[in-house]
Amino acid sequence: MRKRILYIITIVLVSALQTRAQQPSVYEVKRMSFNIKGFNSISPVIIKDGIIFCSDRRFSAFEDRTSFDGRRLYNIYLAVKKDTSAFSKPIALKSERSNKFNNGPLCLAPDGKTVYFTSEVETGELAGYKKFRNHSGIFIAELAGTDLVSLHPFKYNDPQFDVGQPSISKDGKYIFFASDMPGGNGGSDLYSCELINGDWSEPVNLGPKVNSSGAENYPYMHSSGRLYFTSDRPGGFGKLDVYYTSLNNGSWEDPILLPEPINSSSDDFAFVAEPDLQNGYFASNRRNEDDIYKFTSTIIRKVSCDTLEENNYCYRFFEENAVKQDTVPFRYEWKFGDGNHATGPLVEHCFNGPGTYTIQLDVVNLVTKEVTYNEKSETVIVTEVEQPYISAPDRISTNQNVTLSADSTNLPGWKISRYYWNFGDETIAVGKEVPKSYLKAGTYNIQLIVSAEPDQGNNVREACISKNIIVFPKP
Amino acid sequence: MELKKSIYKILFLVFLLGFPMFVRLSGQPVPGKDENIPFLVTFGKDGKTSWGDADFYQVFFFSILKDYTKPIYIRVFDPDCGGENDEIQGEFNTKTKFSVYGGKGVDPEKNEESRGLLKGLNYKSGNLLASKIFGNEAKYDNKYYTFGPFNPSEGDFNTKWNSYMFKIVCEGISGDDGNLYRYFLSSEPDNNIPIEGANAFTYAYHFRMWNDFKSVSHIYPYIDTGVVYIRQSNFDWDNDGTILVVSRYKQGISVPISDEDNWVRSNIPIEPQEVGSSLDFQFHKRQDDLVKNNNVVIELENQRGDAVKFFSSPIGGVPIYQPKVGYEKVKPKK
Repeated sequence: MRKRILYIITIVLVSALQTRAQQPSVYEVKRMSFNIKGFNSISPVIIKDGIIFCSDRRFSAFEDRTSFDGRRLYNIYLAVKKDTSAFSKPIALKSERSNKFNNGPLCLAPDGKTVYFTSEVETGELAGYKKFRNHSGIFIAELAGTDLVSLHPFKYNDPQFDVGQPSISKDGKYIFFASDMPGGNGGSDLYSCELINGDWSEPVNLGPKVNSSGAENYPYMHSSGRLYFTSDRPGGFGKLDVYYTSLNNGSWEDPILLPEPINSSSDDFAFVAEPDLQNGYFASNRRNEDDIYKFTSTIIRKVSCDTLEENNYCYRFFEENAVKQDTVPFRYEWKFGDGNHATGPLVEHCFNGPGTYTIQLDVVNLVTKEVTYNEKSETVIVTEVEQPYISAPDRISTNQNVTLSADSTNLPGWKISRYYWNFGDETIAVGKEVPKSYLKAGTYNIQLIVSAEPDQGNNVREACISKNIIVFPKP
Repeated sequence: MELKKSIYKILFLVFLLGFPMFVRLSGQPVPGKDENIPFLVTFGKDGKTSWGDADFYQVFFFSILKDYTKPIYIRVFDPDCGGENDEIQGEFNTKTKFSVYGGKGVDPEKNEESRGLLKGLNYKSGNLLASKIFGNEAKYDNKYYTFGPFNPSEGDFNTKWNSYMFKIVCEGISGDDGNLYRYFLSSEPDNNIPIEGANAFTYAYHFRMWNDFKSVSHIYPYIDTGVVYIRQSNFDWDNDGTILVVSRYKQGISVPISDEDNWVRSNIPIEPQEVGSSLDFQFHKRQDDLVKNNNVVIELENQRGDAVKFFSSPIGGVPIYQPKVGYEKVKPKK
């Protein structure tokens, strides 16, 4: 009996381990070297030469900054890349506000010079009172070397509530930010404004799919159109977690929780990523202080990936000169080489499948009643599209198990060695036929990346095809 | 090496000799053999236009290449009005005058009046070289009468065609019968011997249709540079079937046809590829009810109002339609 129980436990454990092994993490994370023990570093911003971030570290061994009530103040720092992995010692980007107020989080406008950063709204005597709650606002400045100059406030700052953590879309037309302004869904919510004639429109709450009854913060509009943000809503890994959502036909889709190890049971927030989403940064207090981590995605995600083209065997045939005339006293009779025929100067026909078809045009002169048989013939070679092929339903429900297949891939001459699936929800699989289910509703872009065996020159050919699948909530 | 040179020399000579052969024409029967028209027709001036002649005269031009220097003859087949071929109205009482003109004033490209399109204008311009009036004369019935000899240089020189132009005018000067006749430009007075490089053309074609369902008549207007569309006018077609316009790029577009004693006009667009070649106006007779003795007039002008020539031997040869099939992928219909 004991042996049997041990056997069952062993089987269960092995099964559990196998299940974990089938879903390996698709991210690797690494703590950045410029974090300093005892100080916090948050809110990275990727720039061409390095990272800009916020930290409450000392300016130098001799220069420290605290608020009127002794709290450490955050300032903006620049860490320049020395090489692909190492950064120089961060240097402070200072403004007239650096010594007395919190500065950051921030973002850069598409021009690379205009900085939108969070700071505090009240700067007068009131700001010095211990019991005064100074609310944050967004300020706009020009980056001149290591100085932030020409500061001016965002028009929707308000001394009665917080406005901060700005992010600007790739085209510069939208600004996203967090605020606890009245009218939200509870806690801090995310808002956006549109730039119209050089002026930011009234803030719009991103709605209940994005804004939960908890707190949403750190919006980041990625160049792909994904909006990453942080939320403490239930259902995550604990405390603050990073989610993303996308606009679909004007509506935000259900947010998707990023997997471990980006998210953890600690606070994980302020996510940013390179355009290809393969690398990026985020902040986490998983080692007690807020530190910046780099993530590297092991997911293969192609920036350039053709959309799946359904095989199409339909053609339009026409007598080129006849179609230019309104009416002609001729009857055009087409034989398509597959037993089908049609009549008219312009006809359409769908073949059943690939093949070589001889198209024959017979012409009846309606004046003389003469028939010219096979006046013209054409050979049409109907082929399938050369592409990897994703066989998958267009729509499924959440938690529905489906099998995705690459069986209809048509890449003549390729010796395919691998079928790699990126399901668009930060999960992957390898194989010609793979099972899949989605936990959350939304539209997912599936990429199938097919690799061939290396050729004699050791070159590996790859082809990528993508297809959207709509996952709707299970009724 | 020498052999190679010799071959090149031969090829060059063949090219020099042969090239003009390709571009020159050698048929001067009027109507031309490709036209398949039995007779030209001119009615006596007392006839009715509803019988198929709008103006009771017909003007034709002959062009002879400059380098042809031998005498030429213009032969008229069945010039009289009576007997087997001609169209009688009551009794034959018609006199027809044929006049040959040369010299300055004949060339219709320099002198529009010479084209004979508008009655009242001087279509008899030029030097009268010869003329003869024919009545109902059995000795000319079904026989040729020959005008000439003429020295080619008696014509009006046209630099564009590098040719001397002659003009023959046929007038129905009295009576009301229809005179049916043909011409032949010949190098001999008693035989029909074509003159190399010569051609014949008109601006207004008056002709007789076949009394046969199956016979298709043709005329071949030449499309000159700059023509975007042509405007056709046909007269007294008597609804006798269909006129199809054919070219290398037109399989056959039908044009509106006239009924009795009536002009009908329409525009025909010209493709850029058709410029510099001839169209084929095909006259298909109605198949259900035979219309006999149908005489037709047809004129063409381009978009500028300039008259278009009909050549008895089509410039560039008889146009044969070249079918062109195209295809493209389309989205399947759902």
